[in-house]
Amino acid sequence: MDIFIDALGETFAPTTAAFALAAIGLNFHYGMTGLLNMGHAGFMLLGMYGFAISTQRGAPIWLALIVAMVVAVLFGLLLGWPTLKLRGDYLAIVTIAAAEMIRFLGRSQSLQGLTGASTGIRGNDYKYTFEALSPFPDERITVGWFTYHGTLSSSWWLRVVAWVMVLAFALLFWRLSKSPWGRVLKGIREDEDAVRSLGKNVYWYKMQALVLGGVIGALGGILWALGNAVQPDSMGRPTTFWIWTLLLLGGAATVFGPVLGSVLFWTSLVVVKRVAGVLVPDSWMTQSELEPFSLVLVGITLMCLVVFRPQGILGDRREQAINV
Amino acid sequence: MTIERRTVVRAVLVFVVAALAVTLFSAMTAQGATVSDSAVSSDISMTTTTVDIDPPDDAASEPAPTSYSGSNRFLQSIVNGLVFGLLLALASVGLSLIYGTTGLSNFAHGEQVSFGAVLTYFFATQQPVSLPMIPVSFVIGMPLVPAALLAIAVAGALGWVQDRYLWSRLRKRRVGLVQQMIVSIGLSLAILNFIQWWVGGRRLRLTPDIDPRYQLGPVYLGEQTLISTGIAIACLLGVGFFLTQTRRGRATRAVSDNPSLAAASGIKVDSIVRLVWVMAASLAAVGGILLALYENGTAFDAGARLLLLMFAAVTLGGLGHPFGALVGSMVIGLVTEVSTVWLAPDLKYAVALGILILVLLVRPQGILGRAERVG
Amino acid sequence: MSSTDPFVKVTPEPGAPKPDPIVVAHGVKRQFGGLTAVDVAHFEVQRHAITALIGPNGAGKSTFFNLLTGFDSPQSGEWTFNGHSLAGVPSAKVARTGMVRTFQLTKALNRMTVIENMRLGATDQVGENFFAALVPGLWRQREADITAQAHELLERFKLYDKRNDFAGSLSGGQRKLLEMARALMSKPELIMLDEPMAGVNPVLTESLLDHIVELKAEGVTVLFVEHDMHMVRRISDWVVVMAQGKVIAEGPPTSVMANPAVQDAYLGAHHDTDLPEEL
Repeated sequence: MDIFIDALGETFAPTTAAFALAAIGLNFHYGMTGLLNMGHAGFMLLGMYGFAISTQRGAPIWLALIVAMVVAVLFGLLLGWPTLKLRGDYLAIVTIAAAEMIRFLGRSQSLQGLTGASTGIRGNDYKYTFEALSPFPDERITVGWFTYHGTLSSSWWLRVVAWVMVLAFALLFWRLSKSPWGRVLKGIREDEDAVRSLGKNVYWYKMQALVLGGVIGALGGILWALGNAVQPDSMGRPTTFWIWTLLLLGGAATVFGPVLGSVLFWTSLVVVKRVAGVLVPDSWMTQSELEPFSLVLVGITLMCLVVFRPQGILGDRREQAINV
Repeated sequence: MTIERRTVVRAVLVFVVAALAVTLFSAMTAQGATVSDSAVSSDISMTTTTVDIDPPDDAASEPAPTSYSGSNRFLQSIVNGLVFGLLLALASVGLSLIYGTTGLSNFAHGEQVSFGAVLTYFFATQQPVSLPMIPVSFVIGMPLVPAALLAIAVAGALGWVQDRYLWSRLRKRRVGLVQQMIVSIGLSLAILNFIQWWVGGRRLRLTPDIDPRYQLGPVYLGEQTLISTGIAIACLLGVGFFLTQTRRGRATRAVSDNPSLAAASGIKVDSIVRLVWVMAASLAAVGGILLALYENGTAFDAGARLLLLMFAAVTLGGLGHPFGALVGSMVIGLVTEVSTVWLAPDLKYAVALGILILVLLVRPQGILGRAERVG
Repeated sequence: MSSTDPFVKVTPEPGAPKPDPIVVAHGVKRQFGGLTAVDVAHFEVQRHAITALIGPNGAGKSTFFNLLTGFDSPQSGEWTFNGHSLAGVPSAKVARTGMVRTFQLTKALNRMTVIENMRLGATDQVGENFFAALVPGLWRQREADITAQAHELLERFKLYDKRNDFAGSLSGGQRKLLEMARALMSKPELIMLDEPMAGVNPVLTESLLDHIVELKAEGVTVLFVEHDMHMVRRISDWVVVMAQGKVIAEGPPTSVMANPAVQDAYLGAHHDTDLPEEL
């Protein structure tokens, strides 16, 4: 029963929402435009740095949000500028390299005063502006099976805000994917030369998609940081790969694919860990070995998904049957 | 080989912006200088006092025999860079060969590197070891050299198995290259965590021996480093000989050049690719083992941390170019090590990746890559 | 030949000036490594006519197409469209000036429906701007117009029944037709077709030829690359022959193949290819 409640709680946890939001951003990149952004965690990390550092320096929450988004826009422009004219896998290599660069810079001792180096920034240093806005009481609240604090850290307040944001951006994705703008991006995903021959500025459209998705990723990073702490090493390559896994799981290019993918991903991760923890004796697998074990399963899931069900759960089978 | 003026201007601009950013950062963090100094000194103390403490997960503070300060730091860093570059080349040459023959950017290549090193540890260590899910621990404790050879053989076999049961099937099903790349990401995640599950997050030493150090003129070199370098050079020469002087090697280059043309002229592309996979996996293992000796230890994520440097090297040299990996690796090796003379050592990987992005601006095809394709 | 034939006073020689050229290229040279792929001294395309560009494999026809449309850039040379220089102009901008092309290897957008492919070809859709896209009221009307125009073209190209299918599910020939219809969505002044008939079945080919002739009647200029001399003779007003990157002959379709330079080019380049049979 505990496992069930824990798993159910995970479906609407802030982390789930944060990853869903980040995956919506990646969906603009990959699902809609076909851009291979392998450094999405870099956008998330920049977003949380932008938010946390400016809050630390006394910025009000709206300014901190703007700073985070502006930083993501600049990062997107900088990445896209040299690479969007090159073949797709160059973007993959450059984005992954740039994201790791952000992480290395962030955890470097030379930037201790700014980023807190590898220990990062404590939640209490930047969460207060967000928590001050909470309409919920400053105490633990129980709804049904679930008890969380009203305003602090991984709270009801954060959950509500996070899921409202996820829904808003899912709506944005839906609106844009049904618009002529989205049509151009889908055309680029299929064959950019064809779209170019029809008079569209492919480079500029790709840039728009990269920047938009990156900003959404940065917002996802902020949500994550509001539930946890700013910690550069939690935004390494594995994070990017998890976002890819859950996007492909739910279904790339679909509106609710990222949301469903994130919910399933985090829930099943909890279930696997808890069930294995109960069923497998300690002599076979210690508690500390459960984490890598469940991530092995994530990797295998990703492989099987791409090979056997590339359209994901929500994707159109007809659409994916066509060999590109 | 002409470079457009526009791209040069673009690169210079980026460079200036980057330089400004660095200056700005160091100005903003006024205490930065002292902090990085203390980081360097702690780094030194770590190498001189003990290597047994578990160092933090930090590429630069590994107890590598690198941080000899003094008047010859520059020269020492060049030598270290050359050594590191050679070892990196050994690890990444397979990545380049696989890309050249199949077009796949194999993100699981880093795990091949760790796998070789960890297997050697598994066979050679005097500590009790165990296998995942099997609650029995035992000591194998083979001597280092046979353990390493066995590990290389097993790693090569893994390469064969991977191509036989995974990649060749995906090629047959006409799974797109992007999809294959994502499959390799999944595989990398699976193997990485499998290795962590297997040996844990500790730092693993392949040999308990204390590495005697020699002074050659103004620079210091460890004995293991010297031997590793020798083996690396021999292996690279072997690869070069294979690619240029043997029938199969020439066939490999032909497949790299143009697979359909090669197939049409009677080359069995599939068996060449199989061979390339075995070679790539074994070379990666050799690289992993030598790097573990050079850096005085390995860990489950040693290869994963190296992966980006390998990609940087291969891309720098020219994606898919047989000798590009060597050139690119030497550049990356030198850049990472020499940068530590001026910058904090925990920034050296960041510097390498920065150089990669910069070079892509000027010469997207890499140093040796062809400027354009005919047809 | 009728008296209205604009080519009546044109000398059938390489680089011949035309009375009313829409495209003029001069000294266009493209090298790959040491190999010269295109080296066109002078080249003009007559407005409101159908011009065929032929030549043996590897003559540089497609590369020349790429150069003219900004998909590749030459080492040297000047070329204009309607008197405006296009050197260094990016391909998308070239298309927007009214010079639209198709590709030898068909580029249908496979995972989009036929009608979406068509809509993408249209110009002046304000909804293609990011901010306008958020407000459907701004682009609904234009979308309806575009759709109507697309339906009309699809009817003409016999693809109307397939409008809601994915383009990837069409046959090779149908995809060629779709690509051509899509290019026409922007109402171009000049349409450049790279082997429009390759892989299209004979019945479709006939109607395709009729479409091309119709286009001319509507005032569109056509420049196309083709191998099949039968078609070249049936619809083109003027033929330009390329070999080894150079324009080696020009002339009316009835007589150009009799030119000894052309025969040398075909025989010299490929001993095993048959000469176009109607020589």
